[in-house]
Amino acid sequence: MKLVVGKINIKAVVLDDEEKIEGSTLHINKQNIIDLVLADDRLADCDIEIAKPGDSTRITPVKDVIEPRCKVDSESGIFPGVINKVNLVGSGRTHVLKGCGVMTVGKIVGFQEGIVDMQGPGAELTPFSKLIEICLKLKPKDGLDPHQYEEAARLAGLKSADYIGKLGEKVEPDEVETFETLPLLEQIGKYPHLPKVGYVYMLQSQGLLHDSYVYGADAKHLVPTTMYPTEMMDGAIISGNCVSACDKNTTYHHLNNPVISDLYKQHGKEINFVGVIITNETVYLQDKVRSSDFVAKLAEYMGLDGVIISQEGFGNPDTDLIMNCKKIEEKGIKTVVVTDEYAGRDGASQSLADADKRADAAVTGGNANEVITLPKLDKVIGQLDYVDDIAGGFDGSLREDGTIKVEIQAITGATNELGFNKMSAQEV
Amino acid sequence: MVKEIEKTGIPVVHICTVVPISLTVGANRIVPAVAIPHPLGNPDLAPDEEKKLRRKIVEQAFKALTTPVTDQQVFEWN
Repeated sequence: MKLVVGKINIKAVVLDDEEKIEGSTLHINKQNIIDLVLADDRLADCDIEIAKPGDSTRITPVKDVIEPRCKVDSESGIFPGVINKVNLVGSGRTHVLKGCGVMTVGKIVGFQEGIVDMQGPGAELTPFSKLIEICLKLKPKDGLDPHQYEEAARLAGLKSADYIGKLGEKVEPDEVETFETLPLLEQIGKYPHLPKVGYVYMLQSQGLLHDSYVYGADAKHLVPTTMYPTEMMDGAIISGNCVSACDKNTTYHHLNNPVISDLYKQHGKEINFVGVIITNETVYLQDKVRSSDFVAKLAEYMGLDGVIISQEGFGNPDTDLIMNCKKIEEKGIKTVVVTDEYAGRDGASQSLADADKRADAAVTGGNANEVITLPKLDKVIGQLDYVDDIAGGFDGSLREDGTIKVEIQAITGATNELGFNKMSAQEV
Repeated sequence: MVKEIEKTGIPVVHICTVVPISLTVGANRIVPAVAIPHPLGNPDLAPDEEKKLRRKIVEQAFKALTTPVTDQQVFEWN
């Protein structure tokens, strides 16, 4: 499967009557997007605000962030099986609007929704402070069930990113990159002397607003399977977490998975990147056992020499991570795990809930229990009254002077387990 | 908590879904639970059936509590 990705750099977003990309300025029509969002009668209201890097702006509660993209000259669309036909994606040509994101904000659904500051120490911890954010402020109809609200908010973000992304279809990109992975036997034959490396991509799927979707299928009901890495770049996997704080992958992360892009950088040079195994993180032990057995079986079946495993979330998924690692290592295949830590505010506690001596190579995204004080910012997009209740917040987090004292787990993407950020933790 | 209570000499049964974590942290008597969001029940079952399931888990826990062990032991019930 071969995908050409054209990147269109966006340096400004303006609200306008006309919708277009001119130079590096994206013009969007606010009313058209509002009409698109409110076509879903579960939502009572929608407003749009733009937040720029460096603004004295705090956005919360943040549900998802989505990068605008589109397929070029194709019958398929991005986010297949969710808002477009369930066609197989990952080949052909895709245009991406780099430098901006669609962010869904509004009345809280789940307690792990996050905070994004566009300025100050909080901004340092989230990748989303570096993007121009097109914030959709959503309001559900009175009495709407939380899971229905979550779905409506999720679709509103995806539809808007799809709509805005299409403005880039006919635009000449600033940069073009090509990614290719061949069918397994051909790919192995192409670089026979390089180590065969695969990627085990663990997807949050615990239910209760902790979900991921693969071509529209609920990941908790999947058995592990293989995918071409380019499928992710077209939105084959989306976030259904209304809980996208420090270590849940937003849809933006799935579209821009750094494990995949870094493996491609070494593809054909140091390694032969032969493919991705997706798996879930469920709430029944039997499912955890079956999924990790299948992951190890597929890794062996693909003839892999080495595997990178990324986790999503923490707590009981630590067991999925360790089971995957242990069972793959037992097949004689080397593993590196990518995770984050909940080592207490002083960093002195055990970092993961489960452990095994075979998990001897780990990359960490940092300690989510670390405490940070966020200064008062001039503007709030969304509402602050949930700050005490979100994960990482505590009674008294929101202080009278407008500052906020929270664990960094409240900050969207702060300890991401795909290695999206620059933060880590060190043993002392 | 399991280990701290056992230190006082009172035997403890850990009913939990993720048995591997319980084994890692060192519980001695482990009874598997149903699922993380509903450890001692199953909302998919009819109320009568669910009651039988709940009783089975609790009875298994009592059995584990009264069984002498020399090493970590998982008391399966299904």
